[in-house]
Amino acid sequence: MTMIEARNLTHAYRVEDREVTILRDVSLSVAAGEFVVIEGNSGSGKTTLLTLLSGLDRPSSGRVFIRGREITHLDEDEMAPFRNRAFGFVFQSFHLVPSLNALENVMFPAELAGSDQPRQSAEALLRRVGLLPRQHHFPHQLSGGEKQRVAICRALVNRPEILFADEPTGNLDAKNSGAILDLLLDLRKERGATLVLVTHSAEIARKADRRLLLRDGVLDGGGAP
Amino acid sequence: MIHPRFLLRQLMSGGHQAAVFVLCVTLSIIAVAAVNGFSERLDRSLLQDARALHAADIIVRSYFPLSPPLLDAIRELEDQGRIQSTAVHEFYSVVRSGHGDDSLLADLKIVGPAYPFYGEVVLRSGRPFSRVLAAGGIVVAQALLERLQLRVGDALRVGSATLVIRDVVLKEPDRPVSFLSFGPRIFVSEADLPALDLLKKGSRVRYIRLLKAAEGENLDALTAALETAAVDGQERIETFRTARSRIRRFFDNFTFFLSLIAIFILLLSGLGIRSTLAAYLKDKEETIAVLKALGATRRFVVLNYLSVVAAFGLCGTLIGLLLGGLMQQGLFHLFGDLLPRGGGGAALSPATIVQGLILGALTVVLFAFLPIHRLRDVRPNRIFRKGGAPARKGPAFYATLILIVLFFTGMILFELRDFDMGLKFLGGTLALILLSALMTQGLLLALKRLSRGPLALRQAVRGLFRSGNATRSTIITLSASLSLIFTIFLVEQNLDAAFIRSFPADAPNLFFIDIQPDQVEAFSETIGRQPRFYPVIRSRLLAVNGEKIDREQERRRRGDNLARPFNLTYRDHLLPDESLVDGEAMFDKDAAGLQVSVLDTVVEMRAMAIGDRLKFRIQGVPVEATVSSIRTRARETIEPYFYFVFPAGSILKEAPQTIFTAVRVDEGEVAALQNRVSTRFPNISAIDVSQTISTFAALLHRLSLIVRLFTLQSIAAGLLIIVSAIFATRIARTQEAAYFRILGARSRFILAVFSLENVLIGAASALEALLISQAAGWIIAVRVLDITYHPYLPESGLLLLGNVLLVLAVGSAATLPILRQKPVVFLREQTEE
Repeated sequence: MTMIEARNLTHAYRVEDREVTILRDVSLSVAAGEFVVIEGNSGSGKTTLLTLLSGLDRPSSGRVFIRGREITHLDEDEMAPFRNRAFGFVFQSFHLVPSLNALENVMFPAELAGSDQPRQSAEALLRRVGLLPRQHHFPHQLSGGEKQRVAICRALVNRPEILFADEPTGNLDAKNSGAILDLLLDLRKERGATLVLVTHSAEIARKADRRLLLRDGVLDGGGAP
Repeated sequence: MIHPRFLLRQLMSGGHQAAVFVLCVTLSIIAVAAVNGFSERLDRSLLQDARALHAADIIVRSYFPLSPPLLDAIRELEDQGRIQSTAVHEFYSVVRSGHGDDSLLADLKIVGPAYPFYGEVVLRSGRPFSRVLAAGGIVVAQALLERLQLRVGDALRVGSATLVIRDVVLKEPDRPVSFLSFGPRIFVSEADLPALDLLKKGSRVRYIRLLKAAEGENLDALTAALETAAVDGQERIETFRTARSRIRRFFDNFTFFLSLIAIFILLLSGLGIRSTLAAYLKDKEETIAVLKALGATRRFVVLNYLSVVAAFGLCGTLIGLLLGGLMQQGLFHLFGDLLPRGGGGAALSPATIVQGLILGALTVVLFAFLPIHRLRDVRPNRIFRKGGAPARKGPAFYATLILIVLFFTGMILFELRDFDMGLKFLGGTLALILLSALMTQGLLLALKRLSRGPLALRQAVRGLFRSGNATRSTIITLSASLSLIFTIFLVEQNLDAAFIRSFPADAPNLFFIDIQPDQVEAFSETIGRQPRFYPVIRSRLLAVNGEKIDREQERRRRGDNLARPFNLTYRDHLLPDESLVDGEAMFDKDAAGLQVSVLDTVVEMRAMAIGDRLKFRIQGVPVEATVSSIRTRARETIEPYFYFVFPAGSILKEAPQTIFTAVRVDEGEVAALQNRVSTRFPNISAIDVSQTISTFAALLHRLSLIVRLFTLQSIAAGLLIIVSAIFATRIARTQEAAYFRILGARSRFILAVFSLENVLIGAASALEALLISQAAGWIIAVRVLDITYHPYLPESGLLLLGNVLLVLAVGSAATLPILRQKPVVFLREQTEE
């Protein structure tokens, strides 16, 4: 079953009088449960593609479908249920809410979704990643690796069908990078989620079911499974 | 050291934060400039025409017929050609229309042909006053014609005489306003005075003699000559320069009160200045870190940013002066009908402008010192990490705090010129701010522990503690301002309830004064009842325990004073609303000599105890009495009361006296009764108390409205802090909004979080203000005014709601642009960084 489908995505923006095209006619599809890596050099348009696939941004042209439903023209509020229940996000800069502690950060999406037991779910995940003892720590009291583990827990707390990860190990040292990636992959496997991961690390890319290479906004070799 | 291009760039890129900072400085200046400008302009307008405002060079005043030695002295000066004089008598009397159906209490002024020496009485016909006012005729105020439905040419019964209305007075020189009067003005010619038959012994008459000095005469020398002949403490001699008119006294008190509020606003705006500047400079920390990384010294940074702040401060001060000038115009406009003339010049005087500039500079320097001082601690490594450790409160912090307290003490003493009052005000203001701070701290601690409730509420609570949010400053500033406004409102409402709205059903509403002792029986017959009669003997207090009353000092007091004439009475019993607070009985039967029972209100003016010796002047005769007891009374009544009561059998019984009584009459019967009494006893005046109280209440409400409008400015300071805090935390707020969206929150949720944050700030400040103002209102009502206190809970609830809505509206207006931002824009910016 196709989980994500992108048709002829083009994305451009204007700088003064000049139009800069970041993505050019990108089409791809991702099957349910698949782990796809989007590779490319800096400025190749990887993150932009991820934001378009996840509905964080709208393409200049082209269409995006999630489980067959088009999300291209959904507004922010129409996207909210997707982001809350169907998607999970992991970012390079972690993006934890600074005013919430680790437990609250993980609980937050579950509470938004109206879950019965947000605390139990969050605690279980934190225990799984070994951070239960630090559940009351605020982001500024955590190390980079710890922050990313909290972010992964947060991304998974509502058992999403798709995980979007943007350079999840980009801000971590080698030791932490390996541990985080393993954790992410294990958890994805446990929950059977689809994973779309952006990276420029060949090592990480090798672990993927499929690799998509972006060169100057163009998908190299097509995006079909 | 100053880098002009850098400076210019900083000034040009000031942005929202700089605008809010400028507004805070503006706010701190407006009120003080407006009040100072208003007082000064009032001074100018009252002094410019001071001679005309008093209609004479020298004014002699007494509540008794002028003493023979003084009259001799005046005559002698007249004979020498050094002065001219004219007598004026002022008193109230009930007048009736010619057909005798309607009556009215009027303010009579009996003048001679030479009146006025300066200024002019403007008549509606435009004819000269001296030609119109002649024997048999009167000139009246328009209000009298309207209330008695009369026209020029109709007859009016004044005392025992029937006089013809010749014209309508539009303006008189020595009575620029009419709001301190019980009734409309009537000018009567001196020639008709005997025919009125109104001047009885002990009547309440103001005996005035206006003097015009001959060319080249020294007024002080003339005054000194007359003073030697005058009865001390009874006859006042003043020149037009020294005389304080009632209007002057009223405005002195009012501007004094406005000054208090202006300083209060200045203080709260100062907190706003500190808060907004800290937020502005926080925005600049990264630039400063870069400058330092490039080798800029602390001195360079501080000096350049000090110049930026000075430029913004000057800008705010100038706008403040401009708006202060406009507000001053507004005050003049609001009081237009109460003021004599337009006053010289509309704009602020150079003195007020210079004062404003100095004040602006001092305020900015003091409140900006700490945020600028902290720039020294910004380190180059700030480039590499977001946020920074909160600044420590070092010696600079405490030194600044002390300087701010000293500055305000000096400012208060300078503005109020009243040391005791200044210190009380300073103490009160600091206590208010401290109390607000403590309550805010408690409330925030309680909120911090909140772990249950809806998600949006919990997020909003978390938002309150966002770094740079200035939640504490905002709540303190708002609650202190609101406390003042609520307290004024509650006291006003309670006064209203006690004396105006619920005028007690059995309280007397018609006072009769100047009843002659031999008229008592016939008077009772006329009104058809036997009320309690109070003998009244006019007197002055000369000394307490041999120490002379310092009249000048007493007159400077803002409340009641011992220099004014007092009405004495005699009786051996307490009135139903009286009780003793000191002494076994009103009078000690075994004690020798004359005794006097004193009301506790007098003791509040000057400490007195049983056994103290008081010296009075009663109808020119010095009388000494010993304090035998101290009484108090339930003040929430409108029963007549006397400060000094002598024993029934004392020598006072023999003194010239009038009788006073107060009765309760149905409203519909008041006019008829007034009419009956004035027909039979022209010398007796009837005062409709409920109507008089309503007139004063209207004035009180007007003043209170002005005060409230004025105080609203201090709320603006609180609102500016909110706006500044929102600007200061916009990155954090944008970040939160972006995260909420990425995690699946709808706009409604995000809006709810930010709105609830503002609701919490609004509700916390209003709640604190309500608690403080209810306590203050209770203390003022029960302890000071001795009236029953009503908390006005529905109105208080409305005030709370109003404040919440206000904060919500201002906060939302500043937050909405943040909500509109797409999360991807924020993520992109973060990635770019």
